[in-house]
Amino acid sequence: MCRIGAIKSKNKLHPSMALKLMRSQQEGHDDSGFAFVMQDMGGLFENYKDLPLLSMAATVEGTRLAEDILREVGFTRVMQWSPDINHQKGLKIEAMPNYIFEVLQYPKSYRHASQEEKEELLIDTSIRLRKALEESSSGFIYSFWPDTLTLKEIGSPRDIGTYFNLWEENSDLTARIITAQCRQNTNYDIVRYAAHPFFLEGYTGLVNGENTFYEKNKSYQAKLYKGYMGFESDSQCLLYSLHYIHKILKWPLQYFKHTITPLPYDEIVRRENSEILLRIKASLAHLEVNGPNTLLAVTPQKELLCVCDSKKLRPVVIGKTEDTVIMTSEVVGINDLMPDRKIEDDIYPNERETVIVKNDLTVERWQQ
Amino acid sequence: MAAVKINELHKSDLPWILEYDESKCIQCGKCTAVCSFNAIKPAVETRKTSNSIVNKEKTEKVLVIKQNVSLDNYCRGCGMCANVCPNGAIKLIRNEDDKYSVAYRAQKADSFKKGGRSNLNTEGRTLDKIKIGRISQMTDPSLDAQRHTFELKTPFGRVLKADKLNFDVKDGKIIETAQLPPNRWIYPIIFGDMSIGAVSWRMWEAMAIATAYLNEVHGIPIRMCTGEGGIPTKLLKSRYVKYMILQIASGHFGWNRIIKSMPEMTEDPAGILIKIGQGAKPGDGGLLLASKVARYVQEIRGVPKADLLSPPTHQGLYSIEESVQKMFLSMNAAFNFQVPVAIKVAASVTSVSVYNNLLRDPYNIVGGFFIDGLAAGTGAAHEISLNHTGHPITSKLRDCYLAAVHQGRQGEIPLFAGGGLGQTGSFAADAFKLICLGANGVFTGRMLMEIAGCVGSDTGRCNACNTGLCPAGIAAQNECLVKRLDVDKVAQNLVNYILATDIELKKLMAPVGCSTLPVGRSDALITVDKHISRRLDIQYSC
Amino acid sequence: MVCIIHTLKDNDRMSTQELLQTIARKIEEGEREFEIEACGQHDITGKGANLLFRITNPGQRVGAMGMDGVKIIVDGSAPADIGWLNSGADIVVKGDGGDTAAHCAAGGKIYVGGRVGTRSGALMKHDPKFEPPQFWVLKNTGSFSFEFMGGGIAVVCGFDCDGLSSVLGNRSCVGMVGGVVYVRGKVEGLAKCVEQVKLDKFDKDFLKSGMKEFLQEIGRTELEQDLLDFKNWSKILPLPKEQKEKKISVKEFKEQEWFEGGLFGDLVEDNGEVFGLAQSGDARIRKPEWEKDLCIDCSLCLNNCPQKAISKDLTRYNADSDRCIGCGICSAVCPRSAWKMV
Repeated sequence: MCRIGAIKSKNKLHPSMALKLMRSQQEGHDDSGFAFVMQDMGGLFENYKDLPLLSMAATVEGTRLAEDILREVGFTRVMQWSPDINHQKGLKIEAMPNYIFEVLQYPKSYRHASQEEKEELLIDTSIRLRKALEESSSGFIYSFWPDTLTLKEIGSPRDIGTYFNLWEENSDLTARIITAQCRQNTNYDIVRYAAHPFFLEGYTGLVNGENTFYEKNKSYQAKLYKGYMGFESDSQCLLYSLHYIHKILKWPLQYFKHTITPLPYDEIVRRENSEILLRIKASLAHLEVNGPNTLLAVTPQKELLCVCDSKKLRPVVIGKTEDTVIMTSEVVGINDLMPDRKIEDDIYPNERETVIVKNDLTVERWQQ
Repeated sequence: MAAVKINELHKSDLPWILEYDESKCIQCGKCTAVCSFNAIKPAVETRKTSNSIVNKEKTEKVLVIKQNVSLDNYCRGCGMCANVCPNGAIKLIRNEDDKYSVAYRAQKADSFKKGGRSNLNTEGRTLDKIKIGRISQMTDPSLDAQRHTFELKTPFGRVLKADKLNFDVKDGKIIETAQLPPNRWIYPIIFGDMSIGAVSWRMWEAMAIATAYLNEVHGIPIRMCTGEGGIPTKLLKSRYVKYMILQIASGHFGWNRIIKSMPEMTEDPAGILIKIGQGAKPGDGGLLLASKVARYVQEIRGVPKADLLSPPTHQGLYSIEESVQKMFLSMNAAFNFQVPVAIKVAASVTSVSVYNNLLRDPYNIVGGFFIDGLAAGTGAAHEISLNHTGHPITSKLRDCYLAAVHQGRQGEIPLFAGGGLGQTGSFAADAFKLICLGANGVFTGRMLMEIAGCVGSDTGRCNACNTGLCPAGIAAQNECLVKRLDVDKVAQNLVNYILATDIELKKLMAPVGCSTLPVGRSDALITVDKHISRRLDIQYSC
Repeated sequence: MVCIIHTLKDNDRMSTQELLQTIARKIEEGEREFEIEACGQHDITGKGANLLFRITNPGQRVGAMGMDGVKIIVDGSAPADIGWLNSGADIVVKGDGGDTAAHCAAGGKIYVGGRVGTRSGALMKHDPKFEPPQFWVLKNTGSFSFEFMGGGIAVVCGFDCDGLSSVLGNRSCVGMVGGVVYVRGKVEGLAKCVEQVKLDKFDKDFLKSGMKEFLQEIGRTELEQDLLDFKNWSKILPLPKEQKEKKISVKEFKEQEWFEGGLFGDLVEDNGEVFGLAQSGDARIRKPEWEKDLCIDCSLCLNNCPQKAISKDLTRYNADSDRCIGCGICSAVCPRSAWKMV
């Protein structure tokens, strides 16, 4: 079983927090990788929140390819950051030649464009970059979105941490939200795109468990929106469903749970809004998940979200202090990072719950 | 004694040969009494009593059982005689050198008609070459079929894509803004359309009781399609009509009484099924031979005692668009757009085109697409149609589902598949596999007949549903035959069979880790046949 | 001497294998009391008698396959599978437990000072040669708890559960066939195969004596009085097989709910009688008819009728419809075709 984690804080967090959160949950690792997404950036990126931030790993050729495309579209580089690599011998990591984290300025023609138009440009450019890199097997693009930084690598989480110097805290690379997982999707090939967290247009998702309705979800989602692509992991489906419900259909978040784990018919008919719930159940039947899953997610509003499958076959726990909330698979990770919190306040979501961490860190629990 | 001539029908031409063991016969007469086809008879034979050349004239007369050699009264192999014989003195042997069908055509100048099913199973069964091969074990625990909760329900009625639901959000809650097409959640098995007339009144009543009982006592929302032969007014005005899918076919039989009853109906029917074609005889209309048009059938259908033929097409429907306009719109309007209206077609090379057209119907008034495969049964058909026309259900159902997937519209018009399900004794498995291939549910008539005690087979036994002489009283209209059928037992057996099927469906859902119906989960299936793998897009395994 | 084990050094975490092998080695060396500062290592316990473990931050299955004479005290919370397959250990978790706590426990005692998660107490069993397992929870359990429970005693005290609609979550006790679950507070959505009943004296005595020890171990003795107010307690037992839901038969349904006179009552004459095969009377497909003019009074029909249905009065042969099954033998044997089957 994968272990997943999400931290949201009033403080700026360094990725070492994510490594430490995952360390005690190591029995779920297999040294297949480490990946994290940072959102609501601090440090060097604090002042560029409105500009798109590209996260990719590529060969030299891939780097040039991406630069050409970005230039052609009209993006210009504003700022670039490179991780401080520790080339120590014997580290278990399959590193890429280049890691690119750069802030770009929108093309001139987009200076006065609407938010929607800018977002459209970013997703189109992401898809184009991904296809170009894929065709030439020259790299991976993880995110291209404002205020978001992604790193994914294959190898031992501890060694990946050492390689990128992530164990030591520093104030350059910080964010108020970090989501992380310490392994790759080992059901299938070990590929970087299959590593959680997955990111799409401000939504981040991490899932543990196998989604048994993968084929069903995928065959439906593939036609729903151009950004629903890849499907290297069956878990991506849950992120796409969240995106579809919330961003495309513009439904309130509480209907996400009704979509992926609809209530039994006999229970729906006793509900006040049964007509609506039945329609959702029928219309979005192909987005149901029936497997053992816990999803942790981040929304563009920078809220955290947690839902479980309807049989509650995967663990998850939420712990909090005044300034930080952690959602993760096992309480051991929280115990390590917040030993002094009030454990009576720990939340163990049930199979019907959606837990939301608001921007002010208040926690809401919605029963389905 | 008259001379035997070559150009006559002989016993050796018949499809079944009676093998009679005189030494076991006690001449009780039960075999001849029970034969509804008048195919065997008691007869007196004259025999020589001695081979002595002195007393060579000495003979005696003995009573034996003999087979009639007649184009009209011939043995169908139903085996009732053997069943009632206390001593096993009678056996029926299938005649491999049967010339009956040649003789029939040669002497009658008419096409041969029969009921039941096709007896030319040349292609083997695709569903039997598919297994459920994706078993949840480690990554996704399987469930306990007996004790966990499962939901065996599927939408029936037009399902709109989420962005077409026209939902509004108010105070963080979704509210409905427009009347949406009717949609009901039903059990994924539908008792398939057999009309009053095609089956006996007792059989029809047993199906109706089983349907009502399963709904009201077991909470299993199974639906029964009435077939097109009218419906007793009593039923229309009762609460049970909500479990009934009313059928309209090209003959429109019985609709007069339905329309007259409308003002007094307290419940809406479960749905309307427009029958365009049926799998057993695609391109052919309904056929009820005069022998089955009993007095009450005449009354309920509003016709005299005569061969009743429904035309192969609905008059006035020249295209799919018109069909949508006329039939769907009118049927929707009849019940105020609150009852799902579905269509049943025979599986055909062209089924996908029909399905695509209906998917694109701008009025969203098509509530279900029923596809009937060639292994389906029928009350009566020309043998030529039964044996040589039609299309297997599996690939066509799959084609329709994948056509919808290709457009991102799967599930919008629920698919129901039928035709030969349970042929090899595995009805639940057939249903499950078709659901994995994209069906929302299945329908069956043949299983109901089998459960009721039908003695027919796919290899030529009985298949005399067209005659009205059904020895089991299922497809009979002859009072003494109909009354052989025990309504209570048939209803109970139908109920039992569905309860057993319910358990078996769960036994298949559990290992693939599904607590809801696995519609479209073709990833759960494997096949050992490469062609099937390629055609259906499921994993090839060996 | 207390053996203290730290499992984290810089960024290097001791693996579960390493930790468990270290514990085994130390026990062999004679250590009996351990303090383990864990970092999520699984299966922490030890083999042997009179062992005491004080643990912080254990991973899954703390106390798994716990043996007689082992005591484990977890200061704080522990994740899934506390006391899995416990066969005799006393396991105390002062904080919360994760999912499937006490899964398959068949001996010993498991005390949880907080709540436990989904499927807790599932498949608990009782081997009659030994004392039944006990599983005490101060607060509530998650859904699907006590699934397939076959024996043992569970006590869910429902403390601090004010906002909850059910202290056992939803659909608990599915497939429960043995044992007992004592519960304080509201319970909803129980499986149909169990019943919730009042406590008797034996139950109350058991709870009284057990509660004291439980509260002492988790350090909440101040709650004793409140928790032993029996008005909110009940117990859940599996229903005997014969009491499981009974439904009316199809025949009863037809008699009570269906149309009087049948669905086709006004269309056909049908009193519901079921004809057997080859029966007399109306069940006959064909009936014999006798023609006086053809009869030569040879009595062959009378003598050959298998049902002895044919009789003769002075001038007439007659087939008794109560006996005749319509076999046609009379017609076959008649030399003049005086009997016809119609």
